[in-house]
Formats: sequence, C-alpha cells, structure tokens
Amino acid sequence: MTCEETKQLFADYWSDGLNGEDEIKLQEHLGACEGCRKEAERLGALWRDLGALPAEQPGPGLRSRFYDSLAAFRSGADDRFSQPSHRSPAKQMVWQIAAGIALLLAGVGAGYGLRPNQSPELSQLREEVANMRQLVALSLLQQQSASERLRGVSYALRAEPNDSEVLGALLDTVKRDSNVNVRLAAVDALHPFASSPATRNGILQALTKQDAPLVQVALIDLLVDLKIKQAEPELRQLLQNAGDAGVRQRAEWALENLQ
Amino acid sequence: MARVSAGELSKLAVLFERHHRALFRYFVSMSRTREMAEDLVQDVFFRMLRYRSSYDPSRPFTAWMYQIARNAGIDQKRGGEVVGIEEYMERHAEPASSSPGPEEHASRGQNLNLLRRALDRLPRDKREILVLSRFQNMKYEQIGEILGCETGTVKVRVYRAMRALEQIYFALEKEKVS
Ligand SMILES: [Zn+2]
Repeated sequence: MTCEETKQLFADYWSDGLNGEDEIKLQEHLGACEGCRKEAERLGALWRDLGALPAEQPGPGLRSRFYDSLAAFRSGADDRFSQPSHRSPAKQMVWQIAAGIALLLAGVGAGYGLRPNQSPELSQLREEVANMRQLVALSLLQQQSASERLRGVSYALRAEPNDSEVLGALLDTVKRDSNVNVRLAAVDALHPFASSPATRNGILQALTKQDAPLVQVALIDLLVDLKIKQAEPELRQLLQNAGDAGVRQRAEWALENLQ
Repeated sequence: MARVSAGELSKLAVLFERHHRALFRYFVSMSRTREMAEDLVQDVFFRMLRYRSSYDPSRPFTAWMYQIARNAGIDQKRGGEVVGIEEYMERHAEPASSSPGPEEHASRGQNLNLLRRALDRLPRDKREILVLSRFQNMKYEQIGEILGCETGTVKVRVYRAMRALEQIYFALEKEKVS
C-alpha cells in the first residue's frame, strides 16, 4: 500500500471504523514507514484531544425561549394566552397589556351575553381591545430577540383585518427583518389582510426585494392563494433570474395557476 | 402555511429536548457566539415545522435536521451578523470553566484550550467537518449525506482538516513560547 492510500484510511482508523483487512494493511504500512507512523500518532493524539474538549452548554434562557415561542404558536392557533414568565421590563409591559386584553375580552364576552344589541359602551370597549392588540403586535415586532418578534407576528394575526398600521409593520418585517424565520411567519400573517390593495402591492414589492429563497417561495404561494393576477411580470422575472432552482420552479407553477 | 397541529407542537418539544444541546454545540463551534448559537437553535426547530413535509422518514432524521441547521447558519451569515475572530478571541480569553481543576490536569487543560483556539481558526468547511464527525459523533456516510458528497470524499476531507488543525495548533504553540 502506498503512503497516499494509507492516509485515506486514517479517518476510519481514528474513529475505529476500519475493517479487519484494511486494519492489517494499515498496520503493515505503519510498521514499515516512519513518516506515516509519526503522522498517524500525532494526528491520532489530536483527534483524541478533540474528543476531550468540554461541550459548551446552552444557557437556561434557550429552553424558556423555545417554550415561549411554542406557546405563541399554540395561542396563535387556538387564540388562548400562554402563561407569562418573564424578566425584562419591556416584556413585562407587553404581558401586562396582554393580560389587559384578556380582561377586556372577557368583558366583551360578558357584554354579549347580557345584551345582544351593541351599546355605545360596548363598541367603545371593542375599539379599545383593537387598539391594545395593535399596540402589543407593534411593540413585539420591534423587540431585539427573534422569538419575541415571532410572537409579535402571531399577535398581528389577531389584529383587525383593516388595521393599516399593523399591516405596514408586517410588510416591513417581511422586507427587512434580519431573521428569515420571522419573515416567513410575517408572510403567513398577511393572509387576513388580503382584501386590502395595500397588501397586494406590498407583497409584490417584498417579492422583488427578497433574497432568501424560502421567503420568496412563501410569497409566491401567498400570491397564488390570494389570486393576485397582476403578479405576472414579477413572476416571469423570477422565472428568468432567480438563482435558486426551487424558486424558479415555484414561479413557473404560480404562473400556471394564476392563469 | 397550513396550521400546525397540537400533536406536531408536542412532537417538536420532544425533538427539542433530544437535540438542542448537540445543535447548540454545533452552532457555537460554527458561529462563535453563544447568543447567535441560541438564536439559530431556536430557528432550526421552527424551520422543522415549516419544512416537515420535506422530511423523508426512510432517511436518518439527524441528517435532515443538520441540513436545516446548515441552511439556517448560511442565512444568518448572509444577514451579515457574523462576529469577527478578534472579538471572539476576546470573549473567550478566559480558560474553559468546566475543566477538572487539580494540578496534574493543568497542562492538559492548557493544551485543550490551545486546541479550541486552533479549531476556531480553522476555515469554516474544515471546522464543520470536524465538528460533525468528532463533536456530533456522526458516521461519515451521514456526513456525506448532509454535505452532499461521497463517503470517501468525507474521509479525505477529515484527514485534510486534521492536518490543517495540527498546523494551526503548532503555530499557536510557537507563538506562546516566543
Ligand atoms: Zn507511508
């Protein structure tokens, strides 16, 4: 066996993955060739040391953030509030607002039970609820951490479908958020705003500015869902110029489906 | 996006408990900051929800997970949020806290510290292949699946990465002596 062939066996040798035959051939060569033997020893020792490097452990914050986001997804799905368990004042404020909304909602519900006809106080109350939802969504969308912003997106889903400020913040998130996951969630959250012409224009704009293939595909799907036929020029452009094959395929599919 | 069912959310929690430490170690080794690594771990699990339809149950789950992890890391890098090596070195100037302590371990601890610094200086692709094979204990076949190359190629690249690591390690050692 040559030195070259021997070195190709080193990776298996270090990880105890050599079969009997190769092991014998390797040992034979190492017995005869000092250069390879020394290299096998030196690199083997380094390999062992690599295995002894202590693993860095995540902080406790990672787990709590994960479960917070999970709860946000859940509450986005069934419209329930998860348990607050937070430290920073900003977060606490947001949660206080959220709790306020919950109380108000309970009040609105009770109002409905008592008086089926809308009273002035009741409509005022509902307006307040809408304002608070808007406030929560907007303030969460500005948070530093991606999981907080994700939560903001899930609040935006509960805003009034004609709330132009929340719509603006969502479109801004789709265009500019540094985290692809947040951008994706914001695309999904645009569905309820479909009837607004601003949404349609915003989606088209976001599509031309977007560079992450995942978000591009999500935006294309949204265009098809909302049957936005005027997207044809943008889609043709993607079909021609997109660097990602998946995006090109999806654009082609969308063009067929929007006919 | 189709609504995520409650069952899928609980399954995600199980996957999180099983894999988040390994993923964190992967990202810390690749991205060099704890904050970013934690963000990326979080990212991977929610991407799994989104791409759950792309999972092929006949293939190993971890290969799929690390494919998602790599993409998450690449997207993050594109966002320009990568911390320079100097800043990283500053942050990691103090020796690893989890070393055993007694004097006979001191020199070994020092070597390991040097080794960690050498690993951090290794080019990204070489570092990644060592992190996957040595820290994540992955079979070379599986690494080939994640990186999209033949098993034989993986083995050769492991060898080359070890050679490069050794060179950097020696260079750092010399720096320290002189
Ligand atoms: Zn030889």
